[in-house]
Amino acid sequence: MSAAETLLPLAVLAPLGAAALLALLAHWLPARSGDCLAIVTSIAVAILCGWIADHALHGAIPHWFGGWTPASSHRSDVVLGIGFLADPASAAVACFCAFLFAMSFLFAWGYFDEVHSHFHVLMLLFLAAMIGFCLTHDLFNLFVWFELMSVAAFALTAYPLGQSSLEGAFNFTVTNAIASFLMLLGVGLLYARFGTMDISLMGREIGRAGSDPVVLAGFCLLAAALLTKAAILPFHMWLADAHAVAPSPVSVIFSGAMVSLGLFGLAKLIVQLFAGSQAVVAVVHGPLLWLGAATAILGGLMAWSQRHLKRLLAFSTISHLGIMLIGVATLQATGIAGLLLYLLGHGLVKGALFMVAGILLARHNSIDEIALYGKGRPLWPAGLAMVAGGVMLGGLPYGLLHSATHLIDGQVPGEAASAAMIVSGALTGAAVLRSALRIFFGWSGAPGPERAAPTEREHEMPDRPMILMMLPCLILTALALAPASLATPFITRAAPRLLDPFGSGAVALPTAGGVSASLATLAITLALTLLALLRHRPTSSGGRAIARVERAPLAAIDALHSGLLPDYVTWGTVGLALLASCAAAFGFT
Amino acid sequence: MTARWRLGLLIAAMLALAPAVWAVVTALPPFGSPTAAYGQVVNRLLPHLRTVSNMVAAVNFDVRGLDTLGEESMLLCAVTGAVVLLRGSRGEDRAEHAGRVPGRATIERDDASIVVCRIGAPILLAFSAYVALHGTVTPGGGFQAGAIAVSALLLVYLGDGYARWRSRVPHPLMAFIEGLGALLFVLCAALPLAWSVPALTSLLPTGKWKDLYSGGLMVPVNIGVALAVLGGFAVLVAEFMEETRTPESDPVPDEEDA
Repeated sequence: MSAAETLLPLAVLAPLGAAALLALLAHWLPARSGDCLAIVTSIAVAILCGWIADHALHGAIPHWFGGWTPASSHRSDVVLGIGFLADPASAAVACFCAFLFAMSFLFAWGYFDEVHSHFHVLMLLFLAAMIGFCLTHDLFNLFVWFELMSVAAFALTAYPLGQSSLEGAFNFTVTNAIASFLMLLGVGLLYARFGTMDISLMGREIGRAGSDPVVLAGFCLLAAALLTKAAILPFHMWLADAHAVAPSPVSVIFSGAMVSLGLFGLAKLIVQLFAGSQAVVAVVHGPLLWLGAATAILGGLMAWSQRHLKRLLAFSTISHLGIMLIGVATLQATGIAGLLLYLLGHGLVKGALFMVAGILLARHNSIDEIALYGKGRPLWPAGLAMVAGGVMLGGLPYGLLHSATHLIDGQVPGEAASAAMIVSGALTGAAVLRSALRIFFGWSGAPGPERAAPTEREHEMPDRPMILMMLPCLILTALALAPASLATPFITRAAPRLLDPFGSGAVALPTAGGVSASLATLAITLALTLLALLRHRPTSSGGRAIARVERAPLAAIDALHSGLLPDYVTWGTVGLALLASCAAAFGFT
Repeated sequence: MTARWRLGLLIAAMLALAPAVWAVVTALPPFGSPTAAYGQVVNRLLPHLRTVSNMVAAVNFDVRGLDTLGEESMLLCAVTGAVVLLRGSRGEDRAEHAGRVPGRATIERDDASIVVCRIGAPILLAFSAYVALHGTVTPGGGFQAGAIAVSALLLVYLGDGYARWRSRVPHPLMAFIEGLGALLFVLCAALPLAWSVPALTSLLPTGKWKDLYSGGLMVPVNIGVALAVLGGFAVLVAEFMEETRTPESDPVPDEEDA
C-alpha cells in the first residue's frame, strides 16, 4: 500500500481516538486541555485530508478495511468489506470541514468550560462523522456516518437548554431522525434488490436495471433524506429553528459544513450510483433544478424579512443551498466544479458571519438587529467582516462565490433559474448588509417587514478572549476574498474525478466572465439595502397601502414556518410524494 | 395551518405515495428467496479465514467492523450528549452525598431482596464476561455483554439503594471505562496501519475454531465494545438518577435568567 492509502483511515480514526481519549480523561483533565487537543486534532486531520486530496489527483485512493478487498470474495458480484475511496473532491471537502472545525474550536475557546471536555467529545465525533461521510464508498457505511452526524448535532443544538433551543433541537431531532429512517429504508431496498453495499458495484448494477421501481424508490428515499439534511424546500423547515438556537460555534459548523455536506453527499450518490438510471437523471435535471430555484427564492425572501440575526443567516443558508442544488442538477463537470467552489466560498462566508453573530451574543447579550442598533461600533473589525460577507453573498464580482456562481450559471438551461440565482443572491446579500450597517455603523431607517419577525432574548458565555473570537472570523473572511484562480487548477481536475473516481483528465472551465450577472446582483443588493436604510414610516395612505402589499406575501410564507413539528413532518411527506410522483412520471413514460 | 388542513394534506400525500409503495413491494425479490450471495460467501470463507463459528460476530466485528466502530461511536456520542443535557447547570461538580428530594419516602429493602441482589450481581457480572469472551464462538458479543453487566450494576441499586450504588459505582470510573472501551476499539483499528496493512486487519494469531480464543482481532474488539457499552449505560443511568434526585431548588436555567 502507498503511504496515502495507509494513512487514509487516520482521517476518521484520529478524531474518534481523540474523542475517546477526552471521554476517558474528562474528569481529570485541566480545563483548557480539551480545547488544545481538539484544535491540534482538527488541524492535523485538515492537513492529512489536504495531502490526500493532492495525491488523489493521480488516481482515487482506496482503503479496504480489514483487507477485505473485492477480490477476497472470489466472486465478481460480491464485495465483502467496506471501502473508503478518496477522490480529490471528497478529500478536499473533508479537509475544508476539518479546517472549519479548527476555526470553530478557536472561536469557542472558553465557551464550554462548564461541561469540561464533553463539548469537544461531541464535536470531535461530529468531525469524524463528516470525514467518514465524505470518504466512504459503501452505502450502509454512509448511513452510519450520516446518523452519527445527526446524533452529535442534536445534542449540540440543545446545549443552551433554554426554551427555544430545546424546541429547535426537538424539531431538528424528529425531522432528521425521520430522514435517517428514510435513508435506512432506501439503503435496505437497494441492498435487497442488488445484494451489495459497495457504491461502484451497485452503480453498475443500477445501470443494468434501468428504471426498476426499486431503483427509483431507493433514489427517492435517499434523496428525501439528504434533502432534509441539506434543507431544501419543502424539507427545509427545521433548519432555521435549529441554526438560530444552537451555540454560535456549532452554528458555524452547521451552516458552513453540515448542510452543504448533505448536498455534496447527494451529488456524489447521483453521479456515482444513479447515473445509469435515465429516470433519475431526468428527475435531477428537471424537478430538482426547479426545487433548487424555488428554495433559493424562498430562503432569500425569508432572510430579508428577519430581524433575529442568526435566523436571518439560517434562511440565507437555505437560499444558498438552493443555488448549490442548481449546481448539482446540472450534472456537468463544470456545474460540479461550481458546486465545489460554492461549497467552499459559502462555508467560509457563512462561518465568518455566524462568528460575528456569536461575538455580538457574547458582548451584547442580544442578537436582534433592531435592538442592537449602533451598538457594534467598537467591534468594527467584525462589522467589516460582516459587510464583506454581505457584499460577497450579494454578488461582489470577485472572490470564490463570484466564480462559483458564474460556473453554475453557465450550465443552467433557461433564463428563469439564472434569474432565481440573481434575485436570491441579492435578497440574502441585502439582508446581511442591512443588518451590518444598522448594527455596526448606526445607519437606520424605519424597520420594514422585519419588524414583525420573531425574535428572542439570547446570550452566550461572556468574557471570552476577543482576539480569539475575532481572529478566526477575519481569517475566514480573508480566505473567502481570495481569488478563485488559486483553487481552479485543483477544481478543474477534481470535478471530473467526482463524476468518475477512476477517470482522468480536466474540465476546461470558462475563464473570467460572468461579471455582468454579478454586477446586476450587486446593483439589486445595494438598491434593496438603500431602500431599507432610507425607509420612512409610511404616513400617507398610499404609503401604508404599499407597505401592506409588501408585507402580505412575506407574512404568508412566514406563517408556513410555524415552528410546529406536525407541519414540518406533513410538508416532508408532501415532498417525498412529489419526488415519487416525478420519478414515476419519468420512469414509466 | 389548521389541524384539519394538515391532516388533509398528510392524507393526500400518503395516498399519492400508495401506488409507489405497491410498485416497490411487487418488484422486490419474492418472500423466501434463497439466501443472499453475501451470506453464502461469508458462510463459506469466514470459518477458514478467521476461525470463527459465530458468523454474525464475524461480519460485525471483522468484515464490516468499521460500521460497528461507527455504531459504537454513536453510543459514546449519545451518552455524552445525554450527560451534557441532563447535567445542565449542575456541571461536573457533584455533591459529596446523594441528594434527596425532601418528603420522598426512603423504601427499606427487606433482607430477602438484599441477599438475592448481592448474590445475583456477581453472577450476572461473570455471565457478561462469558458472553463477551465467547462472542466469536456462540451468539453474543460485546454489545450484549455490556448490557448484561449494567444490569448487574443495577442490582446493586435494587438491593442496597441509591446512596450505596453511588459510592460503589463511581461515576468518573464508569466514564473512564466507557472512554477506554472506545479507545481500545479505535486502537485495534489504527494500530495495524503501523505495519502498513489496512486498518482493522487482524495481526493476532487466529486461534482454533470453536475455541475460546478464536477470531484474532475480534477478541480485543469485543472486549472494547463490552467496556464501552458497560461504561456508557452506567453513566447514563447515573445521570438519570442524579437528575431525579436533584433537589427542586436547582432548576435548569432559562434564557430569561440572564
